[in-house]
Amino acid sequence: PRPDVHPLPPGTHLLFAQSGRIEHVPLEGYSMKKDDAKTVLHLPEKVIIGVAYDCVEKMVYWTEITSPSISKASIEGGEPISVIKSDLDSPEGIAIDHLGRTVFWTDSTKDRIEVASLDGSQRRIIVDSDLVNPRAIITDPPNGNLYWTDWNRDAPKIETSYMDGSNRRVLVKDNLGLPNGLTYDSQSSLLCWADAGTHMMECMQPARGDRRKVTEGIQYPFGITSFGKNIYYTDWRRDAVVAVDRNAGQESDQFQPLKRTKLYGIATAYAQCPSGQNYCAVN
Amino acid sequence: DATRGTSADCQPCPCPAGATCAVVLKTREVVCTNCPAGTTGKRCELCDDGFFGDPLGRSGPVRACRACKCSDNIDPNAVGNCNRQTGECLKCIYNTHGFFCDRCKDGFYGNALATNPADKCKPCSCSPLGTVGPQTGCSQVTGQCPCLPNVAERDCSACQPGFFNLQSGAGCERCNCSPIGSTN
Repeated sequence: PRPDVHPLPPGTHLLFAQSGRIEHVPLEGYSMKKDDAKTVLHLPEKVIIGVAYDCVEKMVYWTEITSPSISKASIEGGEPISVIKSDLDSPEGIAIDHLGRTVFWTDSTKDRIEVASLDGSQRRIIVDSDLVNPRAIITDPPNGNLYWTDWNRDAPKIETSYMDGSNRRVLVKDNLGLPNGLTYDSQSSLLCWADAGTHMMECMQPARGDRRKVTEGIQYPFGITSFGKNIYYTDWRRDAVVAVDRNAGQESDQFQPLKRTKLYGIATAYAQCPSGQNYCAVN
Repeated sequence: DATRGTSADCQPCPCPAGATCAVVLKTREVVCTNCPAGTTGKRCELCDDGFFGDPLGRSGPVRACRACKCSDNIDPNAVGNCNRQTGECLKCIYNTHGFFCDRCKDGFYGNALATNPADKCKPCSCSPLGTVGPQTGCSQVTGQCPCLPNVAERDCSACQPGFFNLQSGAGCERCNCSPIGSTN
């Protein structure tokens, strides 16, 4: 147990990074129980960027840039455990394949995407070309797909590949600005992103390639995560977590922590793992 | 520890005004939990990401947190743009380099402080045939590449007048034309 750090009660939560903290807000249905927001982890000297959740072991994973590293901790209260601490420069986005038991991350200075087992072993570079400012990364474990954004000002893009980096393709490259956040909802098969350049939130079904606008005029999105019909994103101007109803295309709620400073990555901590398995898990 | 029953059980937080604190049970270390705006750290001694300074004056005079100072050569959408204590720029763009992103990086020349990104740092692009050794560096300011003997131009891409055979890769040779039979 750490100061002002609380084990999470059961249920679905949002986890987000603010400076050296990982905060959580419980979800009741789709609404944020703001009065019950608490710090899950406080690492006062660190700058935490990306956050991901492993629904199997109920662990939160994060990237940190002051002593570039990837760590994890149990959300039921536990000390941080180091996962990767060497050969990182600016680790940002992070994603878990809860079926394959691996962690993926982007490094915006080394300009590459890597994968490792959840204990940091079996580390491997899977993408190391044509990346300028890779940021968000997301997995679709049942289908074995990986998605990421690159906010390269000259040619921003959203790409996909299999989980070993093969079959790499550009999904979106037109009318993008700074695609900072990316999320995939396995129930609806929707890939959604938040763009701090075009100030839009958009979604598409990767298999169909149909792209549609969810909402526009958002201020400065950084991280984004989905839960059912809702999308939650962190905003650098509002220093808040904003909830958007994907179907209505409208903001439905916001949570602004007392402390006014930038919010970074955000992840949904599901009470249970989404159903589904992939061939790697079966083997 | 409020359970010992002495007047020193509860002590004021060693944090700037307004901040709260808590004790880490395991290490008994006191950590501030609600630092003033723009600051963070165990004792609120650090600046937020994207800012630098020494808000408690831990290593000299107090320096309030201010935005990274990197000669407009950083991208506001990036994270970790400068060292939070020293202000050293860590993510220079437009091919710049240096503590304040105020110089061109190796292999580039020009004025890192120019307003228009296109006027900032341009690649040396030294001609491999006319340049000394395998190096790609040039003068930071003029962009002059180190030329082989009798080779001219900023990028060492041509022979000086009266010389030929840049292709030799060893410098240019004198033409040795007869002064009587040549037109110039």
